[in-house]
Amino acid sequence: MANHFFPAREKGEKIFLHFCGFSAYFTFCLVLLLFGFFLFFAFPLLKSGGYFLLLVTPWQPLAGNYGIAPMIAGTGVISLLAVCIAFPVSLGAAAFCEADLAHKNLVRWIRPVFQLMTGIPTVVYGFLAVFLLVPFLRKAMGGSGFSILAASLMLALLIAPTMILFFSDAFRAVPKEDLRAMTAMGARPEEKLVFLLLPRARSGIVAGLLLAAGRAVGDTLIALMLAGNSLAFPSSLTEPARTLTGHIALVMASDTQSPEFRSIFACGLTLYLITTLLIFFCRRLMVAERENG
Amino acid sequence: MKAPLRMAIRSAAFAAALGLFFIVIFLLAALFVKALPVLDMRLLFGDTPPMEAIMGVRPVFDGLFPAICGTLLLVICAVVLALPMGMGAGIHLALSASPGTRRRIGFCVDLLAGMPSILIGLLGFSIILFLYRYFPFITPGLLPAAASLACLILPYLIRGTWQAIHTLPPELMRTALSLGASPVQALRHVLLPAAKPGLTGCILLSVGRAAEDTAVILLTGTVAAYGLPSGFWDPFEALPFFIYTTAAEYSSQRELAMGFAASLILVGLCGGLFGLAALIRRTVQLKIFTGKLS
Amino acid sequence: MRYIQKIFMLSFVMIFSFVVQVYAGESVSFKGKSGTLQIAGGTAHIPVMRDLARLVMTEAPSVRIAIAGGGSGVGIQKVGEGLVDIGNSGRRPTEREIESYGLVLYRWALDGVALAVHPSNPVDGLDAASLAAIYKGEIRNWKEVGGADRAITLYTRDAASGTREVFWTQALKKGEIVDTAHVVPSNGAMKTAIAQDPGAIGYVSVGHLEPGIKGLRFDGVMPGVDTVLSGAYTVSRGLYSSTKGEATGLAADFLNYLYTPEGQAIIREKGFIPAGRD
Repeated sequence: MANHFFPAREKGEKIFLHFCGFSAYFTFCLVLLLFGFFLFFAFPLLKSGGYFLLLVTPWQPLAGNYGIAPMIAGTGVISLLAVCIAFPVSLGAAAFCEADLAHKNLVRWIRPVFQLMTGIPTVVYGFLAVFLLVPFLRKAMGGSGFSILAASLMLALLIAPTMILFFSDAFRAVPKEDLRAMTAMGARPEEKLVFLLLPRARSGIVAGLLLAAGRAVGDTLIALMLAGNSLAFPSSLTEPARTLTGHIALVMASDTQSPEFRSIFACGLTLYLITTLLIFFCRRLMVAERENG
Repeated sequence: MKAPLRMAIRSAAFAAALGLFFIVIFLLAALFVKALPVLDMRLLFGDTPPMEAIMGVRPVFDGLFPAICGTLLLVICAVVLALPMGMGAGIHLALSASPGTRRRIGFCVDLLAGMPSILIGLLGFSIILFLYRYFPFITPGLLPAAASLACLILPYLIRGTWQAIHTLPPELMRTALSLGASPVQALRHVLLPAAKPGLTGCILLSVGRAAEDTAVILLTGTVAAYGLPSGFWDPFEALPFFIYTTAAEYSSQRELAMGFAASLILVGLCGGLFGLAALIRRTVQLKIFTGKLS
Repeated sequence: MRYIQKIFMLSFVMIFSFVVQVYAGESVSFKGKSGTLQIAGGTAHIPVMRDLARLVMTEAPSVRIAIAGGGSGVGIQKVGEGLVDIGNSGRRPTEREIESYGLVLYRWALDGVALAVHPSNPVDGLDAASLAAIYKGEIRNWKEVGGADRAITLYTRDAASGTREVFWTQALKKGEIVDTAHVVPSNGAMKTAIAQDPGAIGYVSVGHLEPGIKGLRFDGVMPGVDTVLSGAYTVSRGLYSSTKGEATGLAADFLNYLYTPEGQAIIREKGFIPAGRD
C-alpha cells in the first residue's frame, strides 16, 4: 500500500493527518535531541580534543583523570564474549527449529520456550545470576564470582532469543522451491543447511549478530549487578570490570556538579555512536537482502 | 557429505537447542522453587489487611502490593502517553509518507528501538533537572518516569502500527475508496478494524517492554519504599527496581525469597504479554494467509 | 497450641503498638498529619529512617515518606537544590556546602566505620599499615596477615559515599585504593557482598555490623558502640540529616522525633549512639 495518495476531505481529517505527520517527525526530533543532548554536554570535552583523550585515559580521580578507557574496554570485552558465546548456540538452536533436523513435535515443544525467553526481563537474569551463577563461579574459579565471565554468560542468555529470531526469519526467507529442489536431488537436511540455508541467510545472520551486539552493549542491569564495577582495566575473565552503561547508572546518582558526573556524558556519547553504527550497518544489510531477494 | 560430519552437525544443533532449553527451564524452575515459600497473601500485603490496603486506608510494609501497583500505574501512563504518537506516526509512515521520509524516519525508529535504555533514562533525568530550575514542581516522579518510558516504547508502537497496516491486502483500501470513502474514513472504518489484531499485539509487546525496564526508571522517580503514589509528581515503587535493590540489600531470608517471588511475578507478567502478542501475531498471519479477514 | 501462640502474639503486638502510640503522643505526634516527605542520601541512615517512617505512616496513614539512598554526596546536593526535604550524610557537610546551599544540620547519632570480613575468616584484626597495604593492592592473600591461604577480594564504595570518605581519611590516611576493588553502592550492599564472599574485606557503618559479617579489630580496638562512644575506636563520625533552611512542618516533626526517648531507642536498637546536635 505504499505511495498512497492520501488527501484530507474535511477539517477534522486534516488535523488528524497533521497530527500523524507531526508524530512521525517527533520521533525524528527525539533521536536528534538525544544526539544533540550528549553532544552539548560533551562539547567542552570535544572542543579541546579532550574527548578523544578521555577515550584512552584510565580513571584516576586522585590524579584528576576521569578517562573512560576502562569502561570502554569493559563494555567491549563483556559484549564480545557474550556474542561469541551466544552466536554458536543461537545458530544451532535456529537450525534446530527451522532446518528439519529434529522431529516436528519436539520443535513444537521447544520453540515456545525460546519465544518466552524474549519476555524475561534483564533484571531477573541479573537477580538469578547473583544467587545461582555467582556463588558457583566463586567456588569453581576463585575470586568473588562477580566477574566479566558472570556478566558475559548472562548477557549471552539475554541476547540469544534476539539472534534466534533473526536467524530463524532468515532461514525461513529462503524460497521453498530451492529447498524442494535440493530434496529432490537427494540432499539430507544437514546438507540443505550447510549448502543452501546458511549461505542464503548470511546477511540476515550478520544483521541479527549486529543487533544482538547492540543489545549486549546497551544492557545496563546485568553488567551493573554482576560485573563487580571495579575501575581497573579488565585483565582476566574472573576479574571484575565496569561497563559504560554500569558507569552511567552508578555515577548518575552522584553529585551533578562533580567531574565524575560530566564523564557520563562522554560515556553516553560513546554508547550513542556505537549503537548508531551497529544499527546503521544492520539496516544496510537488511535493505541489501531485500533488494537481492 | 560424509555421515560422521552430518552426525556432528545434527548433534551440535541438538546440543545447542536442548542446552538452551534446559538452562531456561532450570532458571524458571529455580525461580519458582525459591519463591514458593512466600507465595501467599502476606507476600502482597505484608501484615496489613488486604481490604484496607487496597482502599489505601493503611500503608503496606513488607508487601509487593505497592510495587505491583506502581508498575501498573507506570505502564498505563507510559502507554497512554505513547500510544497516540506511536499510532499517528505509524499511520503516517504506512500511508502518506514519501519513500524518502519513510527511509529517514524508519532509520530513526530503528535507532530509537536500539538505543540503550539507560541513555533514555539519562536524558529524562537531565531534562527533569533542567526544567526544575524554572518549574520547581517538576521533580523525579511517576509522570517524568512514564514520559521517559514512553520514549522507550514509542518505536515499538510505530513499527507495530506500520507493520499491521502495511501487511493488509491492498484491495481493502481500494475497495473502500471506490465506494466513496475519504482516505481517512477508509482508515478509520476499514483499515484500523482489520489491523486490530496486529495493533493489539504491538500494544501488548510495548506494555511488556515498559514493565520490564529498570534502567529508565532508576533515576527518574522510583524509590525502594514509598507506598502508593498519590499524584503524578510522587515517587513510586516498581517491581523491577524492587528486584534490583533486593539483590544487593536483602536483610533476611524472607526478603530474599520475596525478591524471587517478585521476579516470578514480573516474568509471568512480561512472558504472558509477549506470549499473547506472539499468539495474536500468528493468528493474524493465518487469517491473512487464508484470506478470512473480517 | 499454634492458635494460642497467634493470639498471644497478636495481643502483644497490639499492646506494643498502643504503648508506642501513647509515648509518641507525649512528645511529637504525627496523628492527623498529612503530606509527603522525601529523604535521600546516606545509606547508613536507612535502617533508622525506615523504622521511623513506618511508625509515622502507621500513625498517620495519609503521610507518605520516600527514602532513597545514593550516598552522602547525593543527599547533600539533593537537599541543597530542593529536590528532597531531608538530605542524609554520613559526614559533616563542608563549610562551602553549608554556606552555598544554606543547610541546617541535624546530627542525631554517632557511628563508626568498621572493617568487616566473612565470619569464617580466622583473621581477627589488622593494623593500619597492613590495612593500607591491602587496599593498595600490595597484600593480596590472607595468609600474609595471618589468615588462610585465600585471595583477598577488596570491596569499596562509590565516590558519593560518606562512609568511604571517613574510612579513606581516617583509616587509610588518604592512602590509595587500588582500582581492581569491587564497587558497591550502599552499606546494605556491602554487608550482603561480604556475607557471601569468604575472601572479602570491606568497610561498613558500625550500625550495620550483624551476625552475617565479622568486624575486625583496627589497631587492636574492636569496633562497636562502646568503643566509638569512649573514643577508643578512632574511625568514627556523626550521622547528619540536613534541611535547606530551618526544618518546617513534617520534616521538623520527623527530625525532632529523633531526639525524643522513643526516637533514641530506635537509634540504639539499630546499633548507633544517639547524639545531640553539634
